[in-house]
Amino acid sequence: MTAAGIDTGRTDAVAGAAATDATAAAAISAHGLGKAFGRREVLHDVSFAVPPGGFLALFGPNGAGKTTLLRLVATLLRPSSGNVTVAGHDPRDDPAAVRRAIGFLSHDALLYRDLTAQENLRFYADMYGVAEPARRVDELLARVELGHRRHDVVATLSKGMVQRLAIARALLHRPAVLLLDEPHAGLDAHAVGLLDGLLAEIRAEHTFVMATHDVGRGLELADQVLVLDGGRVALQRSGRLGPDDLAGVYREPARLGRA
Amino acid sequence: MGFRQYRAMVRKDLLSELRTRETVVAMFLFVVLAMVVFHYAFTVTGGGALSFYTGGMLWVVFVFGALLGLNRSFAHEKDERVLDGLLLCPVDRVTIFLAKMTGNLVFLGLIQIVAVPVFVLFFAPRGMAGHLAELLVLIVLADLGIAALGTLLATIAMQTRARDLLLPIVFLPLVIPLVIAAASGTSTLLSGGTGASGVLGRLVFLLVYDGVFLVLAYGTYDVAIGE
Repeated sequence: MTAAGIDTGRTDAVAGAAATDATAAAAISAHGLGKAFGRREVLHDVSFAVPPGGFLALFGPNGAGKTTLLRLVATLLRPSSGNVTVAGHDPRDDPAAVRRAIGFLSHDALLYRDLTAQENLRFYADMYGVAEPARRVDELLARVELGHRRHDVVATLSKGMVQRLAIARALLHRPAVLLLDEPHAGLDAHAVGLLDGLLAEIRAEHTFVMATHDVGRGLELADQVLVLDGGRVALQRSGRLGPDDLAGVYREPARLGRA
Repeated sequence: MGFRQYRAMVRKDLLSELRTRETVVAMFLFVVLAMVVFHYAFTVTGGGALSFYTGGMLWVVFVFGALLGLNRSFAHEKDERVLDGLLLCPVDRVTIFLAKMTGNLVFLGLIQIVAVPVFVLFFAPRGMAGHLAELLVLIVLADLGIAALGTLLATIAMQTRARDLLLPIVFLPLVIPLVIAAASGTSTLLSGGTGASGVLGRLVFLLVYDGVFLVLAYGTYDVAIGE
């Protein structure tokens, strides 16, 4: 057992011919992914495949490598070893195609504070080459219930509103894959409810990878689970899981949320 | 799609600046204050051959004024943690460079529109009227070099903790050849002695300088703005 209370002895890696088939049809597939910053290795030999429409929940304590893994998939970092493909595209060959396929939602909204809600979405619509940008921006502002604040600069919006606008930003170009990095962090109960409602609404339209400390919410949404600890895969399971399935892995489950 | 993205980035930077006025106001104040200081330092104390210094004065003011703007090139992306949003977009990194460089050129151009009349008012250079076209070409070429080099270095400096300190330390030594060419060319033109033929060598040098740093940025920007 490691410092985080995770039993690293139970790694159910997908292997063999079944894995090869799954990879070929996967929306995201990673093989032997590793990342080191200088001599410090933060991710080691991580492999997984998420089929189209799948939902992978990423668990692990702080510093486990969840954000690094998401940033590698999103092309924000270059892997030190291994490779990843998104929607059949390898970022080394066609990074723009990978970026077009990805919507990224993190606890940072990635919005310009001096621009209005509408100007921010219009900017990203142009950056992604969205067709009929004005109509798409209107549609998304209405969807996240921010139509009435469209002309307000982001600096004047509440944290919950900013996160809703960030969701609109992530969905703007209709990405096949949504990467969510602790999207509920810092939100109040109302904003969490709105975010969950939106996620449930779009659940069938995208492939998801969500890093979260909220085990209950993650298990409720996911059909695959990947647990990282110290940059290594501690558990990898497919199918609907309940908290009991993680009981053996997390000998101290509460540590996940407060590590 | 490249031009649409380029236009969106330039528009966004100009709109942000129009709303906050953080960069241009600082640059403008610096330029005017520096001109006032030079005016009293050189004319009140009775400098005889003033035209000998005017080119240098003008370009020292422009370069340090530009530095203020360059330091703010990625302020919104870095301070508001929006850089990831930009890097996630399916945009060629060179397009980001060109858009940022255009923003820096616009800000530099804006302060020059104010600075040159102030300069004429304070120093009344006698040869200026006769060589306005040559002076304009020289300013455009030098501005392009400052913006190309400055944008590339501002991008690299942005990734470091001491970016406000690092940029001048790296930028100033590398911009010295450009300043020498631009300042001596400007002094030659302002003294009224020679026409375009007298500064042709400096114009060619500035053109080569611009080309070197544009090619360097084209080749390295993906790495410079990356991890």
